[in-house]
Amino acid sequence: MATLVQVENLRKEFGNVRALDGVSFRVDAGEWIAIMGPSGSGKTTLINILGGLDTPTAGQAVVDGTDVARLDEAGLTRFRAEKIGFIFQQFHLVPYLTAVENVMLAQYFHSTTDEKEAQQSLERVGLGDRIEHLPSQLSGGEQQRVAVARALINHPKLILADEPTGNLDEANEEIVLSLLRELHNEGHTILMVTHAPSIGRLADRRIEFAHGHLVQAAVASLKPELA
Amino acid sequence: MFARLLGESFARNPRRKVLTAAALVIGMAVATATLTIALEVGDRLAREFRSLGANLLVTPESDTLPVEIGGVDYRPVDEGAYLNEADLGKLKTIFWRHNILGFTPFLDVPAYVSETGGATTLIGTWYKHEVPVPDGTKFETGASATHPWWKVQGRWFQDGADECVVGAGLAEKYPAAFAIGKTIHLTQNQVSGDGRPLVVTGIISTGDAEDNAVLLPLPVAQEISGHPGKFRQLFVSALTKPADALAERGERAQTDKNIQLTPTEYDRWFCSPYISSIGFQIRTVLPGTDVHAIRRVAETEGRILTRVGTLLWIVTLAALGAAALAIAATSATTVLERRAEIGVMKALGASNALVGGIFLAEQVLLAIAGGAIGFFVGAGLARFLGESVFGTPAAPRPILFPVVLALAAVIAMIGSLVPLRRAAHFRPAVILRGE
Repeated sequence: MATLVQVENLRKEFGNVRALDGVSFRVDAGEWIAIMGPSGSGKTTLINILGGLDTPTAGQAVVDGTDVARLDEAGLTRFRAEKIGFIFQQFHLVPYLTAVENVMLAQYFHSTTDEKEAQQSLERVGLGDRIEHLPSQLSGGEQQRVAVARALINHPKLILADEPTGNLDEANEEIVLSLLRELHNEGHTILMVTHAPSIGRLADRRIEFAHGHLVQAAVASLKPELA
Repeated sequence: MFARLLGESFARNPRRKVLTAAALVIGMAVATATLTIALEVGDRLAREFRSLGANLLVTPESDTLPVEIGGVDYRPVDEGAYLNEADLGKLKTIFWRHNILGFTPFLDVPAYVSETGGATTLIGTWYKHEVPVPDGTKFETGASATHPWWKVQGRWFQDGADECVVGAGLAEKYPAAFAIGKTIHLTQNQVSGDGRPLVVTGIISTGDAEDNAVLLPLPVAQEISGHPGKFRQLFVSALTKPADALAERGERAQTDKNIQLTPTEYDRWFCSPYISSIGFQIRTVLPGTDVHAIRRVAETEGRILTRVGTLLWIVTLAALGAAALAIAATSATTVLERRAEIGVMKALGASNALVGGIFLAEQVLLAIAGGAIGFFVGAGLARFLGESVFGTPAAPRPILFPVVLALAAVIAMIGSLVPLRRAAHFRPAVILRGE
């Protein structure tokens, strides 16, 4: 498989704090990677750099042939719109836009809007009947599914999910994880930050962090079936 | 999508929108009122200033210097140059004809009054006279228009009648000879018989040389002097605008060949009612004349008009500045409140320009709404101010409507500039972390 993500000696400092300290790893296209580790270990910082939301202090972070570290602000904006699909723990939907409008927003920033495609994307995540609902009228699980639909709408090269089930109850967690598995089966590349070992085991590989260092890269020998 | 985003965003937090719109309404209302007044004040004050008298003096180009002693011009009537009364209607044909509010010819004639045996000056002039204009109309003018502060005890003479008004100084000196109702006899020299009889109809106080002269109808003075249809001086009362650098250059270019106006400058100068350009236009219809600005009057007018204009501009700028500050405050709050939303948009790939565009478009929409309401409120305010200050309401100026809308939009943009710059520096990673 071709390498989609290549991280070399990546460092990120916030003042005197080293959030990432010489991290290197690779991700092949179509892989599902779980990034794990305790709070403050640098997981979200890594995701932010790979997603073009932050810039590294040193090192390389190449995604689909683009070194994120070398992009200027405009370049990072285009990179985010074209190559990355984000799924956040807090969903981060625009509160005054309906479900379909939230999905269309990502289309708009990417190129042009297509309401029909946005509706189909929502139908795919099981929200065909909630298209015109505002985020405040949706449950947490439904909001996260809107976020998944939004992340997928532009066919990104890389899906970055930061604790995607962190704010969900068990039932909704299962729905979202099943969606991620579907995406993986379709060949999407997913980098998912999680605290939960049970969720981490769903991935092809686990990359574990501690104090900004990569401490372990493990290949999941057994992928437990979703309940 | 932009329109949808804008519409949805616009419908949010109506209280803040109302506050922003209110700031704009107040700012634009004050700006509209002051601009309306500023556009009218020049005209209105200039008209008020016309009560100060004429501001232009026209004399023959080749006139000799007057030989005046004690207010009496001792030049023989045959000396000096004269102007044609018949040409005066042409003054109402110049480019700035509507700004010519009045003009009065004067003909000084040295004479003797038989009743006193003394020399005096006769001043032939008009009180209220209808001048035929080349376009077939008539224009009523005379000392009543150019010298409205002259006070007459009794009444003015009638145009063409054998009547006169006598200067207060003379009347005081010879109370018996110049009493109202008495007939005086005027001669060109001391030995020429009884002279021309004129009935004294009034005593005139001008505070000037006329107080020691006898004022009489111009045709009578022309007849006595033997110069029918002629006069020596013309006082013109014209509405002008304050002189500026161009006015001065235009004036100097008339006499100094080293100064030349470009065609554009010339057009601007000619098409502005500067005292120098009106004087130039008078010279073209009355060839062989010199036109002098009566500086004291013109400069006082100019100074006051400039000061009033400056004051109004300062008030306008202050109102616009206050509106911009109010918008900056509400805009800053809005940007802070919607920080999370901005962070999400940027994370999804929205450029700073697009995010700024959404917020700016929202402010501009508010500005247009606030500006439109402000215009109508301001028009009402201008009416009220016009009524209070000038006695007549200031007419609304529709031309100001697009100007006010544009001003409101610019103010909204200026007010939003700092908050939007701040929004541009928001880092989505920081916002999404909830910091």
